[in-house]
Amino acid sequence: MAEVEDTLKRIQGYNGVIGSIVVNAEGIPIRTTLDNSTTVQYVGLLHQLTMKARSTIRDIDPQNDLTFLRIRSKKHEIMVAPDKEFLMIVIQSPTE
Amino acid sequence: MFTDETLDLIGAESTWRKSHQQTQESRSCQTLPVHTAEAETQAKDVLENSTQTQDQISQTLSLDRDISDFPGLVEFLRRVEDVVIRELVKNSKSHAFDGFEVNWEDQNDSVSCMYRLQHVDAQERGLQVTSVSWNCTGSVIACGFGRMDDGDWSNEKASVCTWNLDRQNLNPMRPDVIIDVPTPIMCLCFHPVRPSVFAGGLYSGEVLVWDSSRSQDLILAQTGMSADTHREPVYQVNWVPGARRGEFVVLSAGSGGRVLLWTIDGAEAKLTLSSGYAFVPQQMPQCGAASKPRGSTTIGVTSVALSPWDLDTFLVGSEGGLVLKCSFSSGTVAAVPPDGESVTLRNPMQFSFSPRGGPIHSVHFSPFHRNLFVSVGTDGLAHLHSVLQPHPLLSIRVSDSYVFWVRWSPTRPLVFAAVTGQGLVQMFDLGRRSLRPTSTIDQNTGGQPAYCLEFNPKHTNLMAVGNADGSVNIWQLSAELTEQGAKETAVLEQLANEVTD
Repeated sequence: MAEVEDTLKRIQGYNGVIGSIVVNAEGIPIRTTLDNSTTVQYVGLLHQLTMKARSTIRDIDPQNDLTFLRIRSKKHEIMVAPDKEFLMIVIQSPTE
Repeated sequence: MFTDETLDLIGAESTWRKSHQQTQESRSCQTLPVHTAEAETQAKDVLENSTQTQDQISQTLSLDRDISDFPGLVEFLRRVEDVVIRELVKNSKSHAFDGFEVNWEDQNDSVSCMYRLQHVDAQERGLQVTSVSWNCTGSVIACGFGRMDDGDWSNEKASVCTWNLDRQNLNPMRPDVIIDVPTPIMCLCFHPVRPSVFAGGLYSGEVLVWDSSRSQDLILAQTGMSADTHREPVYQVNWVPGARRGEFVVLSAGSGGRVLLWTIDGAEAKLTLSSGYAFVPQQMPQCGAASKPRGSTTIGVTSVALSPWDLDTFLVGSEGGLVLKCSFSSGTVAAVPPDGESVTLRNPMQFSFSPRGGPIHSVHFSPFHRNLFVSVGTDGLAHLHSVLQPHPLLSIRVSDSYVFWVRWSPTRPLVFAAVTGQGLVQMFDLGRRSLRPTSTIDQNTGGQPAYCLEFNPKHTNLMAVGNADGSVNIWQLSAELTEQGAKETAVLEQLANEVTD
């Protein structure tokens, strides 16, 4: 549907965004703006990391839950927005 | 009067010969009885275990599936969009991390010489190190001895030595493996996948492949002297992916104007010629800047660079100062009289860059950008070229004497190192405004040239430099020279896109 594509295009158009990926609950990417091999690599690793982060938060406080995950590295920042059924990954390079 | 007479026999006994059977003694010996005993064991419980690696099965991407297959996707995106956009905007404006640096490893601030490897025997004979090569795991360094300044045909025996730097009992004065070769070695190259196999090109035109994991007769394959081999010194050897996946063939380039590809025939220990290319001045592509060399019958190849991005392209630097872009899959036949070779030689030249004055000693493709390469020669300049145009993008003066080798840094896209005839290693950082070297490393050879330089592929802060006094210096580079900065790839891209008219 057009709305999905529009939303993704909007996100991709922001300053410094290198790529964005939408993943389903099984860890299979649905939509991506990066090439296949990079996408598969990001998805595989970040899916596991998100699950680990979520279980960390919930172990500390069972009433709490993960809402957003940001990983900052030397070259860029990876943002993960988790959900019950889907996962959105956005990679942004800092403008400095 | 005379009658026959028979006399009795007269005998005389020997005074010194006596029967030796006077005294006899008997001796015998016997071992003590050997005690033997029999015992048996048997394992009653048996446990079997095995492991196996598996090729990574690439995940199937559901990119083609219709969005309506995923109910709830639209709602998810609606929910998430605002959050994500807010974070993106905040991040792009944020100064929270300005100047924030994390040190995961100890920062090395200075360049230090870790080892000075020497082979006493070769040094005594005054041989020079003509090439060095690291193996694919980064633990073994091999160096070939020969002469670079000898104009004469040389039949001097030389050697190839290897040191394993990861061993505890490394003795810099004694190599681990010494291989004798009949003529000086001009170039060496380790196999990209097998850590013990390496190829070398000799002054006589032969190409040999050794396997240092064998216990005796280290020669895995050799070309021998046949109609196919080079007649002139082989200046560069390289391993090129072959027809089948995982197979590699040896590429050798010599000053006779030939680039030949050899396949290893393990059973017969021979290198068989699989295809060859010849460089003929008359067939050189005429591109505005280049003019045909006068009076030369061959274009002697002194250096070869393989493109890590495009398996079909390779660059060739010649004795006359030409840099040519060539292709492996070219079909045109070379205009050379057939000399008994087993394959027809082809002409690979596609494009010619602006010529320089003097032989091109080294060409190297940038590992970070598909169009950039750097070339150095005896004119003391390093030219940064883009494959797309004949004129160099940048010319940097490296030294006043000859420059023998240049290599891009494997970790920093903007840094390259060059060795000069004065025994210095000059490292240049293209990100800096000035064109002066960021650091100069003196080889301590008393002004003698340094001939070759290689970065360690695994431990990227190590660099090996081979000198004319027969020693190989292993340098540990500082963090500044090896850690990649944030924007380097972008600056390189920008540099590559500058097109001079």
